[in-house]
Amino acid sequence: MPRVRGNKIQLPLTWNVVTDKQASRPMDRTVLIVTYLLTLIGLIIMFSASGVMAETRYGDSTFFLKRQSLWLLTGLVALHWVAQRDYGVWKTLTPYGLFLTFLLLVLVLLPFMGTQVNGARRWFRLAGFSIQPGEIAKLAIVLYLASFLVRKEQDLMTLTRGVLAPMAVVGLFAGLLLLEPDMGTAVVLTLLLFGLLFLGGARLPHLLLLGLVLLALAYMLIMQSDYRRRRLLNFLDPWKDSADTGFQLTQSFVALGNGGWFGVGLGEGRQKLFFLPEAHTDFVLALVGEELGFLGTGLLIALFAILIVKGFKIAGQAPDAFGRHLACGITLLVGIQVLINMSVVSGLLPTKGLTLPFVSYGGSSLIVSLVAMGILLSISRAGPPDRPLSSFGMG
Amino acid sequence: MNRSFTKEEVKAAGEGTGRRAFIGLCFLFGFIILFLRFGYLQVLQAETMKLKARQQHEKPITLASNRGAIVDRQGKPLALNLDVSSVYATPSSIDDPAGVAHQLTQVLGVPREPLEKRLRAERDFVWVQRKIEDAQVKRLNDLDLPGIDVVVESRRFYPKGTLLAHVLGFAGIDSQGLEGLENGYDKHLRGQVRQVVLQQDALGRIIIPENRRKPQPLSGHAISLTIDEVIQYMAEEALDQAVQATKARGGAVLVMVPKTGQMLAWALRPTFDPNHIPQASPEQWRNRGVTDPYEPGSTLKVILAAAALETNSITPDTLLYAGDGEVPISGTVIHDHEKAGWLTFREAVQRSSNVAFVKMSWDLGKEQVYQFLRTFGFGEKTGIDLPGESIGILRRPDQWSLRTLPSLAIGQEIAVTPLQLLTAVSAIANEGWLMKPFLVREISDQQGRSVWEHVPHIRRRPISAETAKTVTDLLVNVVERGTGKRAAVPGYRVAGKTGTAQKVDSETGTYSSTKFVGSFVGFVPADDPQLAILVVIDEPQGPAWGGVVAAPVFRKVAEQALRYLSVAPGDESRMVASRSSS
Repeated sequence: MPRVRGNKIQLPLTWNVVTDKQASRPMDRTVLIVTYLLTLIGLIIMFSASGVMAETRYGDSTFFLKRQSLWLLTGLVALHWVAQRDYGVWKTLTPYGLFLTFLLLVLVLLPFMGTQVNGARRWFRLAGFSIQPGEIAKLAIVLYLASFLVRKEQDLMTLTRGVLAPMAVVGLFAGLLLLEPDMGTAVVLTLLLFGLLFLGGARLPHLLLLGLVLLALAYMLIMQSDYRRRRLLNFLDPWKDSADTGFQLTQSFVALGNGGWFGVGLGEGRQKLFFLPEAHTDFVLALVGEELGFLGTGLLIALFAILIVKGFKIAGQAPDAFGRHLACGITLLVGIQVLINMSVVSGLLPTKGLTLPFVSYGGSSLIVSLVAMGILLSISRAGPPDRPLSSFGMG
Repeated sequence: MNRSFTKEEVKAAGEGTGRRAFIGLCFLFGFIILFLRFGYLQVLQAETMKLKARQQHEKPITLASNRGAIVDRQGKPLALNLDVSSVYATPSSIDDPAGVAHQLTQVLGVPREPLEKRLRAERDFVWVQRKIEDAQVKRLNDLDLPGIDVVVESRRFYPKGTLLAHVLGFAGIDSQGLEGLENGYDKHLRGQVRQVVLQQDALGRIIIPENRRKPQPLSGHAISLTIDEVIQYMAEEALDQAVQATKARGGAVLVMVPKTGQMLAWALRPTFDPNHIPQASPEQWRNRGVTDPYEPGSTLKVILAAAALETNSITPDTLLYAGDGEVPISGTVIHDHEKAGWLTFREAVQRSSNVAFVKMSWDLGKEQVYQFLRTFGFGEKTGIDLPGESIGILRRPDQWSLRTLPSLAIGQEIAVTPLQLLTAVSAIANEGWLMKPFLVREISDQQGRSVWEHVPHIRRRPISAETAKTVTDLLVNVVERGTGKRAAVPGYRVAGKTGTAQKVDSETGTYSSTKFVGSFVGFVPADDPQLAILVVIDEPQGPAWGGVVAAPVFRKVAEQALRYLSVAPGDESRMVASRSSS
């Protein structure tokens, strides 16, 4: 039924299958449009970045384009399907999802199951496609934390049940990820834990304590692994060893600077010609900078900023605590990855091995991100909290 | 926890509006920082990074042109380029230098240890062996050794082998002209070396955008010579036969077109094959035609006769006393080989009387002799387009001893290059005009368009046409009745002069009694000279007389060349007598 907001009349999109009585609005268009824009820009720049490399490696310049297009299509279908459904169903799915993800994370470590690339065992290879359980774990942890915050709202103020319990779960997952190793994803999970506990209302001293413990752990991890230490130390002055450890970062700078204000033109970038490693995955933003200039990187920053702001807004308008925590978690998930990836590309953080959501090549990351957006859109459809918060304690 | 919370407290905290706003602001702050950071990297750092980008994206490449060909006056190739293969190694991608070196040694036959050392070098590129045979390329391809590759290079090839070798010279392994015309005209043959900036990827591979063509090397200019391959062949063959027959140390046959200074042939012995320079020595490839002055002996009398006639101090019929057959000069004596009594000047030339010429030179005087020798081009370069030309040795009169003037009269105490002598004699054949000799007729570009043509250049006129005519008659007389009889070409009037010079013994500094240079210089047909030819036979064994060892070579070359050039004899009646047909 039409609702009057301001002086505009908005109709629910006709193809929205209203499955939930809470659904009283059309999904958030800004989020939808921004998501579409980001994936489209990503697809184009990813093709530009990977074409020559794919031609050299596979004799087919559209090798990555074809795969990514297929993932994108699948992801968008999933996004709309999820967006039209009640997000409440995810709460019931959470325990199974969590267990399944745990299983996958264990299985991927087994030599005969996981495929090793560049010394890391992060992927299952199935019929020519790769599946990365680490990406699925991100969403699983978001769901877990959202439902945890709802279920254990009373315990949140306590250290053991409120803080240490979810920390143990996240720590288990992060530990498995570190075994792959995939430090980037482990860091994202840890930050998610932090962010959601903070937003969920945990006590600041607890979080401070937790933070100190994690910092100590991180320090130990970094100092124990030689390559992590070199990465960390190197990012402080990449030009010192630009031929070796600083190579990727300095090449990223060259790409960005070469782009200038308006870029060298789509497809005209030179840095993707094997100068810039991972030009189509982790460092795709540097390619955006080279081919589309500061205009391109600025636009991406702006689009992501809009998405994040919108995400928190949707959280604030969510009708129940689960929706609110879930929207926060999804927004955090995207925001954390974007901030880290962009900081890495611009040399503000040491190299992590994190992709730029929606833009970088990678099927698991793209589908998980789009499903997450679908959930966010589903929450946006739910009405404002103009009714009593009846969902307390619902399981 | 010892404190309990009210439901409202928990709810307020759970809704966390304040905390969410805080986190949101943190993110916004992060995005602003990133925006500024990217602005810094992409705008403020742009110039620096663009420079770095250019440095690594662009690859300046030196594109050497294909070396231009050298062809004779008929366009027949004398020097051209062949594509050959060279082997190089990328040491960084060789895991087993010893094994690779061993296999390469077997295929290429290069010494193993220095090769292995090069394969261990800390470099990305080392030559293994330049310019190898096709069969070796095939064997290398079959071996498929890692880090060993073959590139096609251009190699200079001289299809005629030793023919004209001294004039052509040769080019080095990097196609740089080292000797002869290859050196003298290197700038033209080599063409432009262009610096082209190409785009490269991180592996150093050249990226050619689809809308652009790969830059092709230009070709250097081709040079056409005045040399005629056929006459050159005649000259070389005749010289070879003479050198072999007389067991001489070496020799020279130079053929010039007297009216223009164009060189038609330039044969020297000993010689070398420019295709096999490592086996040759500088002794062999030195172009003695311009680099090595020698004492011309009696052939120089041509010039002195011209000088005397030009100054009117003598006529062909002037009587000179040569009766004693010897003339004393400051302690020594100059001899004739026979006592002649009174001679006309014509007879003195005919017999090549030393005594008569010594006396004549005294009449002429130091200054005049010196001046005429200078105006005929002795003591200066002829200006031929070859590198390394010598000016010979001609001292100034104030450095002369009492013996110098009479010595000069018989072609001693002066050293001339074969080319200087031929050029001077050609002036007599050319109505007194002294020309600049030259070898390159034309330079043409890649498409065969002429970019430069050599115009004959008159240097000066040492004698009048009249004097030249008189000298010619004297020289015709030499061939018809005197020392040069064996130079006579049936059907043609030949003008020429013999010379037999003692060589200076380098150990004692005196004239050797065993080492001679027999020579003949002349031109034909005498009435309308088409060819001027100098023959020099160096240190023949046995009789060394120029009229015996050199004059027949002149005859052979002149006869063949005249027929080849279809030159009409100057005297109709004699032509009919000697050649019944045509």
